[in-house]
Amino acid sequence: MTSMSMPRSMWTVDSRTIVYAAIGAALYGVLVGLFKIPVPGTTAVDARPAFALVPFFGFAFGPVVGLFTGLVGNMIGDQISGWGALTSYNWSIANGVVGLLAGLAPAYLGSMMSGSLGRRAAAGAVGGAIAVVIGFLVVFSDMIKDQMDFNAVLTTEYIPVVIGDLIVTIILVPVLVYAWEPVKERLGR
Amino acid sequence: MNFAPRYLGRGSWLARRDPRVLVIAVVCFVLAAIQVWDLRIMLILDLIAFAYYRTARIPFRQVRRQWMLAILFVSLLVFANGIIASGRIQRLPEGVEPHIYGYIPLLGTPVSAESLTFALVQFLRFLSLIAVGFPIAFAIAPDVFGVTFARLGVPYRFAYAIDLTWRFIPSLAEDFRSTIDAQRVRGMDFTGQSRNPVARVRRQIPVLVPTIVNAIAGAEDTIDAMDLRGFGTGERTWFQDLVLDRTDKLVLIGFGSLLVVATIGGLVTSSSVLWVPDAILPR
Repeated sequence: MTSMSMPRSMWTVDSRTIVYAAIGAALYGVLVGLFKIPVPGTTAVDARPAFALVPFFGFAFGPVVGLFTGLVGNMIGDQISGWGALTSYNWSIANGVVGLLAGLAPAYLGSMMSGSLGRRAAAGAVGGAIAVVIGFLVVFSDMIKDQMDFNAVLTTEYIPVVIGDLIVTIILVPVLVYAWEPVKERLGR
Repeated sequence: MNFAPRYLGRGSWLARRDPRVLVIAVVCFVLAAIQVWDLRIMLILDLIAFAYYRTARIPFRQVRRQWMLAILFVSLLVFANGIIASGRIQRLPEGVEPHIYGYIPLLGTPVSAESLTFALVQFLRFLSLIAVGFPIAFAIAPDVFGVTFARLGVPYRFAYAIDLTWRFIPSLAEDFRSTIDAQRVRGMDFTGQSRNPVARVRRQIPVLVPTIVNAIAGAEDTIDAMDLRGFGTGERTWFQDLVLDRTDKLVLIGFGSLLVVATIGGLVTSSSVLWVPDAILPR
């Protein structure tokens, strides 16, 4: 007897998607406020190592998991810190869009995804970096929501957050891909 | 580090409300508050927000740190916006020129009655949003998050994911603590103060990677349990049944009315433009 399994669509929402999404959001919510590493020469740039969870979960488990990890994880982190889940809802949406775009990496980084583990790790970093640069454009909605000045959003919000998150994405996402892929093989996933 | 959702408002008037009320109230309040730029109305919104917050009876000692951090962050944000906007003020009534007190040395940013009022309204708005948002974390029983969002129309799979997220937080936080302790026992030094951010990010790898990979690998048991119970094969039922009582409905009507009034007021009155008190205008 032979068994056949249907290829799993990246938009499938099953028990696996739900559990990975919940774990990603819980980890991000817990860890995001813990580590903040100031970037020298800047006034408001912090690298947040836990942010790497968002592009990694998107890249490893698909856009739905990435979206949930970024969106809900950021809301939970904000709520735990006292900022309020909805006070900066557009930032949570931005985090969600980063996870979503990282999860779409297989669609625009096709050749890198099918290569060796090293190439897939590099694809994680490239996909994550693209997602960070595009996803955080959502924070310009502060110009409407809080009537902030364009230059203020650009220099105190967008550029600092993109620099900090690019640093952690480029360093940590490949490491996480390297660590996760063998475990994934061992689990038969 | 205590990450377990703390049900600090247990037994309070707000905690006895249907949890959907707390979520809808925040949504209505946020949408109403972001339309208001009149300082007088913003003060009224702050009064409403803090009156609402008080009904959750959250002990201040338990959340003092969160309040301090939030106020510090809001202050920085408002101050930075004021400096970098270089005196440009949004939401000024047509034809009104800023009444300038003076200029910030070196930066040359003008400080005017209008820019100070604008910053004050921003500050008060953030405070009101935080006050209204706090009870979601501290006055909703942790075991009803899933059913709350399901009954609000979130697809049940995602409502369940939100429920799972809250449940995972304490155990994942504990795993994280154990990983730190284990790495310390192995001689890891987390106190090194290199200024190089790349080196400092890399120093977190021995803690972050095992915590994350163990959490994902450990998820298999949960996935198997859900599969064995047929998760996803049909609509899920929930243990708790949520019913809006008369008070819940009145609270919802109140916050809904606030949103409607703020929206209509923004269109037909001057509530959505800056109002500057005469008393602070330079003579």
